[in-house]
Amino acid sequence: MLTMIGITFREGLNRKVLLISLVLAAIFLGLYGTGVHYAAKSFNESPNPMLASVVYPQLLSFGLYFGGFIVSFLAIFSTVGAISSEIETGIIQAIITKPLRRRDYVLGKFLGLGLFLALYSAVFFTVIALIINLKTGLVLEGQWKALGLFALQPVVLLAITLYGSVVFPTIANGVVMFMLYAVAIIGGMVEQIGWLINNAGLQQAGIVTSLVMPVDSLYRKIVHLLLSPADNPLNALQQMGPFGSMAEPSVWMVVYALLYVVFFTGLAVYSFNRKDI
Amino acid sequence: MDMAIKTFNLTKKYGTKIGCAEICLRVPRGQIFGFLGPNGAGKSTLVKMLVGLLFPTSGKALLLDRPLGDTGVRARIGFLPENFRYHDWLTGQQLLEFHASLYGLSGTEKKRRVGEVLELVGLAGRERQKIHTYSKGMRQRAGLACALLPDPDLLFLDEPTSALDPIGRRDVREILVSLRASGKTIFLNSHLLSEVELICDAVAFIRQGKIIRQGSLEDLQTGDITVEMKVGNLTREMVNTLSSLARSLEVRENVLMARVKREEDIPRLAEAVVTGGGDLFEMNRKRSTLEEMFIRTTGGGEEIC
Repeated sequence: MLTMIGITFREGLNRKVLLISLVLAAIFLGLYGTGVHYAAKSFNESPNPMLASVVYPQLLSFGLYFGGFIVSFLAIFSTVGAISSEIETGIIQAIITKPLRRRDYVLGKFLGLGLFLALYSAVFFTVIALIINLKTGLVLEGQWKALGLFALQPVVLLAITLYGSVVFPTIANGVVMFMLYAVAIIGGMVEQIGWLINNAGLQQAGIVTSLVMPVDSLYRKIVHLLLSPADNPLNALQQMGPFGSMAEPSVWMVVYALLYVVFFTGLAVYSFNRKDI
Repeated sequence: MDMAIKTFNLTKKYGTKIGCAEICLRVPRGQIFGFLGPNGAGKSTLVKMLVGLLFPTSGKALLLDRPLGDTGVRARIGFLPENFRYHDWLTGQQLLEFHASLYGLSGTEKKRRVGEVLELVGLAGRERQKIHTYSKGMRQRAGLACALLPDPDLLFLDEPTSALDPIGRRDVREILVSLRASGKTIFLNSHLLSEVELICDAVAFIRQGKIIRQGSLEDLQTGDITVEMKVGNLTREMVNTLSSLARSLEVRENVLMARVKREEDIPRLAEAVVTGGGDLFEMNRKRSTLEEMFIRTTGGGEEIC
């Protein structure tokens, strides 16, 4: 399995999708850093502590939200053909005919890609946190837990996309996974609106979409971990808007996300063990 | 006889469509075995079942006395797929090291085997190039090198020379013959019948998913003997006499093609010409070529299932 982990990790580093993601990340972080810099400069020139304590957290949420987009983009694109494209091109024929269990092939792919995506996410999160902390002086609570959850986001997408890569052709898998991701994003926003206007139907719709694809609820949990010290009177204002988190997802949602990863990885192994190549 | 491959009613169905039906095959150890059939006849299906890419619908098989699906025995089996695609962002050296690791080779043994197979397939000196810069022939050589890494007891080759030039084909033939000399078994799936004829000890023909003929090349080729004669003063009586001796007789001006069943019939043909007053200028015994046998046995053309 170690051989498969190694080749998958190296493949991740060699793919064009990484280069595209790095360029996108550099552009995004450059623009983001510039925006935060000028916002902080503006507050330094004309101090308004009340407004700053609302705007800075919003800037952080904004950074993590769109950072999550880029990380998710990388997770889906680097996994969408992890197995299906090797079947389609025939590369797999020379690999799984070796003394390698099929289970090890799938788990090697999962661990190699998971390691690569988790590292990428961790670096991304750290850069955003550093920009915010250095430019605004905002103290981030629970940042290690938040970093762990930020790195878990692409792993959730990896698990289901890897399963899709066993059962669907590459293009069909890409379409299905982007639709699922879009469902999670829209469901998350609908849920926030539900909490804002106190509408139980919208809240339930958001919870259901979180069960289908728990990526967005992980993001909401991250925002709560970073921005919700119990004694913060401005918490409601900080968490308003599409990037905030009006109601904190419970710790069971994190457990659910972990089980989701285990379930879909196990399903990928089960399906691949029975698949004719 | 010790067998490298034994299959017992091995069958693969795709819904109602038959890939292979009740294949019973025996491949002795230390031989080069040719597996022949038209496109779509089920050759690749059988090979894919044997190397573990497809799961049989029914039946069973033993490879080197171990059942299908035994992961351990795969360390003694090499496979060159027809569609030899590899991670083309790796160099030749890196590709071989990766495949050597999959075979469980490590350390000095891995280094030694990678060097040996590079030399054997003629890629020594090109191992630092990326695979995507290789020509099709070089890629096929790299694929063969991957298959040879574990010094396999059993080698499955699916069209191993399809991308090679005549020199490359001769090189591969020599490699296969030397592997046979060292006791290895080679299962060769090829359309290049002239090559199969040159190196194979035994062949099997498959049509519509079923084995229709198998045996040693010598036995199969002795089924019919074709004799070509160039004759002067040919008369109708002579042709009638020759027709009664031969299973079939074809006359084209002064050239006759007679197909006889036994070797003893050959001098009788000559006798019939001479006693009939004819002049026998030339007489050649022609072995039935594998190509003729292939067309006769499989009916030629592609199978449409």
